[in-house]
Amino acid sequence: MTVSDLRQRLRDRSVLLYGLVVPLALMVVFDLTLGDQEVELEPLTVAVAAPEGDVLADAVVTVLGDLGDLDVTVEEVSADAASARVADGEAGLAVIVPAGFTDAVTAGEGPVVEVVEGDGTGLEGDVVLSVLDAVLDQLAAGALTAAAGAEAGLPAEVVASLGQAALASAPVLTLEEGEAANEQLSASGALVAGQAGLFLLFTVGFGVLGLVAERETGTMPRLRSMPMRPGLIVAAKALVSYLLGVGATAVLLTAGSVLFDVSFGSPVAVAALVLAAVAAATSLMFVIARVARTAEQANAVQSIFALVLGLTGGAFFPLSATGLAGQLLDVNPVAALTRGLGITSGGGGLADLGVPVLTMLGFAVVCVVLARLVPDRGEAR
Amino acid sequence: MRAPLTIAGVELRRFLRDRSNIFFVFLFPLLLVLILGAQFGGDGTQGRVVVVGDASSLRTELVAALEDDGVTVTSAGADEATEQVARGRVDAALVVPASAAAAFDDGAEVTLEVVPAAQQGARLAVQQVRTAAAAVATGQGQVRALTQAGLDEAAAQDALAAASTEMAPPTLAVVDVDEVAQEFAGLGQFDLGAAGQTLLFVFLISAAGSATLIQSRRLGVMNRVLAAPVSTGQALAGQALGRFVIALFQGAYIMLTTALLFDVDWGNIALSLLVLAAFAAVAAGAAMVIGAVMDNDGAASGLGVGLGLVLAALGGCMVPLEVFPDTLQTIAHVTPHAWAYDAFALIQRHDGTLAEIAPQLGVLAAMALALLALGTWALRRSMARAL
Repeated sequence: MTVSDLRQRLRDRSVLLYGLVVPLALMVVFDLTLGDQEVELEPLTVAVAAPEGDVLADAVVTVLGDLGDLDVTVEEVSADAASARVADGEAGLAVIVPAGFTDAVTAGEGPVVEVVEGDGTGLEGDVVLSVLDAVLDQLAAGALTAAAGAEAGLPAEVVASLGQAALASAPVLTLEEGEAANEQLSASGALVAGQAGLFLLFTVGFGVLGLVAERETGTMPRLRSMPMRPGLIVAAKALVSYLLGVGATAVLLTAGSVLFDVSFGSPVAVAALVLAAVAAATSLMFVIARVARTAEQANAVQSIFALVLGLTGGAFFPLSATGLAGQLLDVNPVAALTRGLGITSGGGGLADLGVPVLTMLGFAVVCVVLARLVPDRGEAR
Repeated sequence: MRAPLTIAGVELRRFLRDRSNIFFVFLFPLLLVLILGAQFGGDGTQGRVVVVGDASSLRTELVAALEDDGVTVTSAGADEATEQVARGRVDAALVVPASAAAAFDDGAEVTLEVVPAAQQGARLAVQQVRTAAAAVATGQGQVRALTQAGLDEAAAQDALAAASTEMAPPTLAVVDVDEVAQEFAGLGQFDLGAAGQTLLFVFLISAAGSATLIQSRRLGVMNRVLAAPVSTGQALAGQALGRFVIALFQGAYIMLTTALLFDVDWGNIALSLLVLAAFAAVAAGAAMVIGAVMDNDGAASGLGVGLGLVLAALGGCMVPLEVFPDTLQTIAHVTPHAWAYDAFALIQRHDGTLAEIAPQLGVLAAMALALLALGTWALRRSMARAL
């Protein structure tokens, strides 16, 4: 029975369409639109215009030239040329320090350092801005301390040294960088996983939801009259769903990893994830088969479930949520599949997959129980 | 003219009677706009840092400094924070151990640990933590310099507070000449998502609805309509009009609700509706073609949904068109979505006039005419086909 059903489904072009063609097309389009998102910072050229011989302005320039994580090339130019270099795309960023900067800082006149951000300097530009913030903060601190000293009536010779003293007596806060495990897929990888999960929810419908169609066309009673246990009919439909789901997901993940150069890690671990994900998806179909009266309704309800779970599972864009919202998202089998693939791509094996696999199997169990409990609305009346 | 209008009215009523459509037409688009707005709206470039450690003066000051810098700060236990970093749910974790908090209170050297995630924003978050740490250290240094000069701590704090009202610190003024950033400047949190989602759903609902055309052919409704004193042309016009009204209804609904609920600015409303009408005509034409060429309603809605999603993704309704690589931007304009997207962008962001959006409207109108003509011709032929 399973074999004949499978043959029928594979002849039906919509399985191929939903299971493979559409998700692959979407993956390609998404991957194109995303471009490549690098984690590392790109080198950046900064055009700096600073007044000659200005002590604090020189301090700003010195800091920019040595940023640790970010490879910055500082070009010292005139104020007019700085913006022009950004406009020409020669420099990613221009920093213009006004004339008389040191005096203005010391007197608390609030001098304005102009920054011009060019095309596509997003993240690197933000890093430089954050550094500049810290530098200006430090420069202001000295002047502010001296002013506070004068305010409190300290003698003039003490006030004069306060600025230096403030910087000298600041406590040393050292930051050490720790390492965390990487359980994340690249942007392309996350989309491949999410799309595979989303369309899995469509593909598995072709078996189980066949029950609704059989009821509608009246072939169900005929099947039941055959010399076998009625449970076998349901089992066969479930098996069809399961095989279709495993097949489609395996093809999608393989094709996705080849096309977009994503590595999902150990094939054994990935296989375990796929098996669990298909179980969760197939069991959800049983709930839908009970609730839906007609095949048309079943398809509509299925699409609703698939799109909501796909959307909240990160099939279209990664969702980041923490706290309660994050936990709610974690229950979603599409999200669990994506997370599991993240763990395997980071080198995790079967042993590390406890949470996502249990999540998906738990989802499956809950769905099977629900399918037993909800009243069957499709019985012939 | 009465016959086509009647047929169109019946199509719309049938469409609204289908209960599953209530979700797809009325709820799902708003859900998407909401989620997209929450994800990309506002200033999405600022980092997310999770802080680990018991309450202490050091922790309090660090959190305040980070939040001053516009960083989103959450707190968690050590294990949970590690997991959040590994999963990329935050950009970095900042660990403030009890020993560091004590050292800070005693004025000794403080060592903190920052754990970056493996994603784009992580390096920025690390720098933001550094900046915050420097700000905390500087603040401490100011108080210490004054206490060493003979003031007690309270007097030092007061003097600093008083001085800061008179002294203006140096500030940064950022001018952004980045075209993409400028393009999105001044857009409300939900504006970008709403325009894209409107186009996505208008086309998707329309294309998926092509199945009803196939059903009405199979059930012989079309033949019965023609048995009435209605010409083939009128029947076809009625079908096309029905599709068009459904698409227009869907689009207008999303525009109205997003304007009311999410405060989306649609610019000049008459022009926006004109763009919507042109796009709805294209969607109606596409539905006619699918409904006439295919004979299996299941496969037709599958193709409709697939086509609707793929074209929307390619046309800039999921990822904004402006961030596409250049060649892809050109390719994107094979879709009606991209042209309509451009027109909405002109109206929403640049107060575009009718003359300015004329090219986009022209292309959409040409696409609509071509598809409607093709659909009508195919439908006429399909009626002669046995199902």
